[in-house]
Amino acid sequence: MLFPLGYAIWLSLLNYDLGSGSREFIGLGNYQELLIDARFWITLGRTIGIVVCAVGLEFCLGLLIAYGLYRLTFGVRVLNLLMFLPNIVTPVVAALFLRWIFIGRWGLISGLLIGWGIFPPDFLGDPSWARVTVVLADAWQFTPFMILVLYAGLNTVDPSQIEAAQIDGAGIWMLLFRIMLPSIRPLIVFVLAIRLMDAFRFFDTIYVLTGGGPGTATETITLYTYALAFRLLQVGKASALGVLTLLFVALLVATMIRVVYRREKGAF
Amino acid sequence: MTAIRLPRRHMLRAALAAPVILGAKARAAGTIHMISHRYPALEHYAAKMRTALPGVTVDTQLMPIDKAMELATIALSSKADTLDIVYASDTTLQTFVKNGWFRPLDDLWAKYKDEFKLGDFPDAVLAPYRIDGHLYVMPHTVNTMMFFYRKDLFAKSGKSPPKTIAEYRDLAKSFNSPMRAGTINCLKPIDAGINEAHWYLNALGDGWFDKDWHPTFNTAKSVAAIEMLKEITQYAQQGFTAAANDECTIALQQDTATMGMQWATRANSMDDPAKSRVVGEIDWVAPPQGHGRIAGDGFAISAYSKQDPDTLFRIIATSAGEASMREAASMLIPPRKSILDDPAMAKANRFYPAALASYESGTRAPSLPEFNAIGEFFTRRMLQGVTGETTVKQAMDTAASETETFLKGHGYYK
Repeated sequence: MLFPLGYAIWLSLLNYDLGSGSREFIGLGNYQELLIDARFWITLGRTIGIVVCAVGLEFCLGLLIAYGLYRLTFGVRVLNLLMFLPNIVTPVVAALFLRWIFIGRWGLISGLLIGWGIFPPDFLGDPSWARVTVVLADAWQFTPFMILVLYAGLNTVDPSQIEAAQIDGAGIWMLLFRIMLPSIRPLIVFVLAIRLMDAFRFFDTIYVLTGGGPGTATETITLYTYALAFRLLQVGKASALGVLTLLFVALLVATMIRVVYRREKGAF
Repeated sequence: MTAIRLPRRHMLRAALAAPVILGAKARAAGTIHMISHRYPALEHYAAKMRTALPGVTVDTQLMPIDKAMELATIALSSKADTLDIVYASDTTLQTFVKNGWFRPLDDLWAKYKDEFKLGDFPDAVLAPYRIDGHLYVMPHTVNTMMFFYRKDLFAKSGKSPPKTIAEYRDLAKSFNSPMRAGTINCLKPIDAGINEAHWYLNALGDGWFDKDWHPTFNTAKSVAAIEMLKEITQYAQQGFTAAANDECTIALQQDTATMGMQWATRANSMDDPAKSRVVGEIDWVAPPQGHGRIAGDGFAISAYSKQDPDTLFRIIATSAGEASMREAASMLIPPRKSILDDPAMAKANRFYPAALASYESGTRAPSLPEFNAIGEFFTRRMLQGVTGETTVKQAMDTAASETETFLKGHGYYK
């Protein structure tokens, strides 16, 4: 684990450009360049936007479905298995399915809407719709993971607490928000941290669905890293961006854990 | 029964050695790996390569050009010997040769000139593939962008093919309807977007660069040219921002678009009943106001290939032989004199007259090794302008500024 990371850090200190053939030590030059690069900040902002929307949607949907499954008295195993299927599919393959669903004019959704006499929006070609589509695509694939973890968590809540709350007249939503969610807070932080880290590396789905476009509408930090490395051939700068992303995600997760547990020392 | 005892250390050794032994066996078996862009003519050539030499296995991987070039870049930049024969166009060639990723073909060309009738390739076709006096690519196609249009719809409404881009815009507007777009536009970064913008910039604007390689795509004329492109995209098929040649070809074949610019190599597929709903209904003319992009494709040998160069050259030359090109003549403009000068060929392929007229009025992409990398800045910014995320002027100024910074870093503007 340490060798690739160390090598990436070393490359990030070089002006390593396959196009010009240069490979010289420039210290923190690549970092300086990136930190004054407007495209870097715009891409970072866009990544945060997409990640927050996608993970937020996945958490809300995942929690609702997990709670629904928790209250279900039959068929839970089968439903759980079926709902987990999108998460098993390789992201690139899933993105190809989704491309054929969302593609304009002859895609599944466009075809259905046209059949009903509604002229559909350009899901992948319009900048705003493209962002929505990318968020929906991520939610389709990763909500099952949330469901699985949250469902497992809900099942660990002490039944005596639930019974006591019910005796005190708590309804199903009060039971969820006042009793169950506080009980599984460590698990919620864990699953959100995992998904945030994962979503920051969001690449395959966007690459297949929109390629970061139209324009730069869905260009995330990983797509910018890819463009730097394999289209502009600026390997040093791409490595620096990779290291910055790593630092940013680490900082984000550390802050999240700190905020959630500021009053509960030693929870992790 | 005696149990076989396999100590853990032996098992570990076997596991470590297996990939090396199996890998060596795979290489020893002589499998040659080719990577290429994909369209019907190139599929034909790939098939010819697979059967070119008896007993030699050629693994051909065909995919859209951006993916093919990215994979080739990853492999060749790491000096890997995983690719032996690599697709090259006149623009990608510049970058690959500058980086030393292709092997010059001069010695092999001279050695096999008679056997494969290599003198049949006109000098004008070979010229873009020569860099610093060395030839790197064996040409397989000559390609040009043409103006495709639905002759049945034009005839029905009493209209003629456009003579100017402004007329094209008006026609696109008049033919546009929810079920059939007025035009195709193919603006997917990088290659497709470059191709389309090339026409507007050269026909209406100041082109890509001045003589000192300073960008000219943000001058007032060039911004107006991209504004015209933006106006025309109002009548384009859905998904045009992510559409490359395949998507545009399908839009025409499936009767969901009326006209637009596309490569000559796609012309024949319009008459393929297995793929097209408009057989015999598409016609072609040279792009209005000329300056459509002209290009060519061919194959080169990786500088890092461990395979025998003679074998690789013979495979490429067999696929580009006269017989093979005659078979493929309906899918491309063949770069051999003997076929180009054959009147029967021109008669049999109804798109030839328009293709040749387009070729004569066309212009090549700038011969700059960094052109594809600059396409990354240009196409993304252009799309921001076209989709209204920024103004076209802002988009082109940003692209020009990014281009200048990039080229300065590569030693230009001394």
